[in-house]
Amino acid sequence: MFDIYKEMWKRRKMIQSLSIQEIKREYAGTLLGFVWGLVNPLMRIAVFWFVFSVGARAGGPVDGAPYFAWLAIGMVAWFLLNDGFRLTQKSFRSKRSIIKNTPFPIAILPAVQILFSYYIHLILLAVVFLLTALSLQTVSLYNLQLLYYDFAAVMLLLGIGSMTAPLVAVSKDFGRFLDTILVFLFWMTPIFWSADNLGMYDWIIKLNPFHYIVQGYRDSFFYETGFWEQPVYTFYFWILVFVFFLLGNYLHKQMKPIFLDTL
Amino acid sequence: MDIAVSVKDITKKYSLYKDPWGPIKEVATRKKLHKDFFALLGVTLDFPKGESIGILGKNGSGKSTLLKIITGITEPTSGKVDVQGSIVFLDVSSGIDSELSGYDNIFMKGTLLGYTKQDMLAKIDDIIEFSELGEFIGQPVKNYSSGMKAKLGFAISVNVDPDILIVDEALAVGDASFQKKCMAKMNDFKLQGKTIIFVSHDNHAIESFCSKAAWIHQGELVTYGDAKFVGSMYGEFMSGRKPIESILAEIQYEHAINQVAYAAKEDGFSLQITGILRNQQRKNVHERFQLAIRDDRTGETIMKNLSSANQGFTVDFSEKEFPLFFKPGKFSFWLHEDLEEDKEVEFSIWAGNAAISASPSSGYERFRYHFNVQQNNLHLAIENIEKAEQQVNRIWIEDELLHIDGIAFVRGYETKSPDDLAMKFYLTELNTFKRHAFPVTISETEDITENPAYNPQGKVYNFSRFQVAIDLRRLEIGSFESHLSYIMEKEPHHQLLNLVWASKASEYPAEPYSTEAYTVHIQTANKYLRLEKRARL
Repeated sequence: MFDIYKEMWKRRKMIQSLSIQEIKREYAGTLLGFVWGLVNPLMRIAVFWFVFSVGARAGGPVDGAPYFAWLAIGMVAWFLLNDGFRLTQKSFRSKRSIIKNTPFPIAILPAVQILFSYYIHLILLAVVFLLTALSLQTVSLYNLQLLYYDFAAVMLLLGIGSMTAPLVAVSKDFGRFLDTILVFLFWMTPIFWSADNLGMYDWIIKLNPFHYIVQGYRDSFFYETGFWEQPVYTFYFWILVFVFFLLGNYLHKQMKPIFLDTL
Repeated sequence: MDIAVSVKDITKKYSLYKDPWGPIKEVATRKKLHKDFFALLGVTLDFPKGESIGILGKNGSGKSTLLKIITGITEPTSGKVDVQGSIVFLDVSSGIDSELSGYDNIFMKGTLLGYTKQDMLAKIDDIIEFSELGEFIGQPVKNYSSGMKAKLGFAISVNVDPDILIVDEALAVGDASFQKKCMAKMNDFKLQGKTIIFVSHDNHAIESFCSKAAWIHQGELVTYGDAKFVGSMYGEFMSGRKPIESILAEIQYEHAINQVAYAAKEDGFSLQITGILRNQQRKNVHERFQLAIRDDRTGETIMKNLSSANQGFTVDFSEKEFPLFFKPGKFSFWLHEDLEEDKEVEFSIWAGNAAISASPSSGYERFRYHFNVQQNNLHLAIENIEKAEQQVNRIWIEDELLHIDGIAFVRGYETKSPDDLAMKFYLTELNTFKRHAFPVTISETEDITENPAYNPQGKVYNFSRFQVAIDLRRLEIGSFESHLSYIMEKEPHHQLLNLVWASKASEYPAEPYSTEAYTVHIQTANKYLRLEKRARL
């Protein structure tokens, strides 16, 4: 039932070195290297802050947290989810030349992309963490929760990636569809607006597992709330991840013989 | 014998859709909208450990698909593959990332092949040295030439020390010295008892390097066995000398010529061939086949059914049945089967152990007959006993009569009276091989006798002029070649038969001769006289 995940665990060293090579590849030929992995997201955070707080005058503090910091932390979590989602769904298609020519356990490719996204995320997280810690004194024991939420995010991405990657490998249309979904998710996940604004309908937003991560990040920085304090939501999240894992394994098994021929 | 890779009854089917919506429509309508294409069909092969095995096949024959199934890159539609040991697929471009440097690519490919960084660090010096890239190893691969890329790919693959090495046409690139180095490395592999699977469409490479070879044609295994044997058959197929049906039949049947007995008597040449022809169940299949003898120059073929004789077949040919077929030239021997729909199968019969025997000379041999066996095939060469000198001096056409005026003599054979010799002129149509004989008028001339260049010994060749008249109305439409038979009526009574030599092009009609019904072209481009009669539209 979990064959592909066992394979990933068995090849964790291979995943590790492939993701390092992925970073080298990503920044090969640039002089500044991973600095670009930092500049781009920071720039985007700044632009969103400007648009919403200066442009739309919507930038009041959220439950006591300054809007800019609140936005930045949410975006940091979102970038991990966004990159992981975007890269894993293409993980078979983008590594077509390797799949077609090298005998190789291809089931690990989504995990390679997730680890790659995670490394980029860590750099950004470190910078943002330092900035908020210095300017807002956000350091607390609750910060350690980030480890849990990172783990949760990686597991969620692994489940989703295992499902989407084989489907996208079979159908390019599905890839386009997912790109559209991602845009939708970006705006529908409360990243620069607060879920509280929805009042009694906030449960709809909570169905979105990405929200669990984004909210968890903010809880760990500003609100000193532990994940154990919302057991139902946590339980729901992990059940969902479990279902994704099952589906991912099933879809991989079903689609592999097809996409090996058609890719 | 240990088996490194065992392939059992592998079939690979691809579904080809014309319409990109085809797969979806198919699910919706439950109708079959695709064509099945079988890249491989029921292929069973065992690759023994420690041998180098070649896989031959044209482009698109399915050999690469077979490799991909063995390596696990593609999954078969049905069948089983069993691999004992680690495989490296030596394909020049695989797993090389053009953005990364050569150095990084070594680690990249190493990782893909399942080696750790420490493993690769231990090999890296060997790899860099083998690749001959020197300081370029730090440059991005996109700046490499194709030869450099191939060197890098090859260097990585052979230095990671696999149990089974699969080589896919990789040696075509790279310069001669690097190719040599690669071959040396592969020979090392052989000596270390590793298995090499070598894929190519070039039979020479496989014959020289591999001990065994498999030939795949249109997804099916044609034959698997000794590399030289398979390679030579593949070579014959690729050069267009043999169609695939013939090769399949040749492999399918056990066939051999055991004995060839020939005689040249008063009534002409005769030949008896005995041999065997069995199918794989060791049953005789004589009745379906004919033995064919072919004139290699013209393609003229005679055939006779095989008759059974003590556990094999026997067949007789004689000059009486096939007049003027056994004439100076070269002949080959084939087994011929007519299939339905005008198709036929033909293959040369194995004659590696044929015993050739001649009846004691009767003094009547018209020609010299030589049988020999080359590359396990029987050949017959027939030669004139003496050489006739001849030339056509003039050709002209008058009232639909074609006149040929020429000279023919044999050095040393004096012709003082018209009774000393006789001649005959033949035209042979080159598609149907129907022959026409024409009388020859011999008359006196002193051209040869008085010409010291031709006659240094001062012999008498007075009767050496020949004249032939051909009624063009009575020839069918077609293309004809011409023979002249020179018959000595005195000792030594030789009869010579030659194509008619006609090299004085200026003395022959340059323009085609036309009537209302036909045109006749005189062709002497290759110095032998040919006629072509065409109908006028």
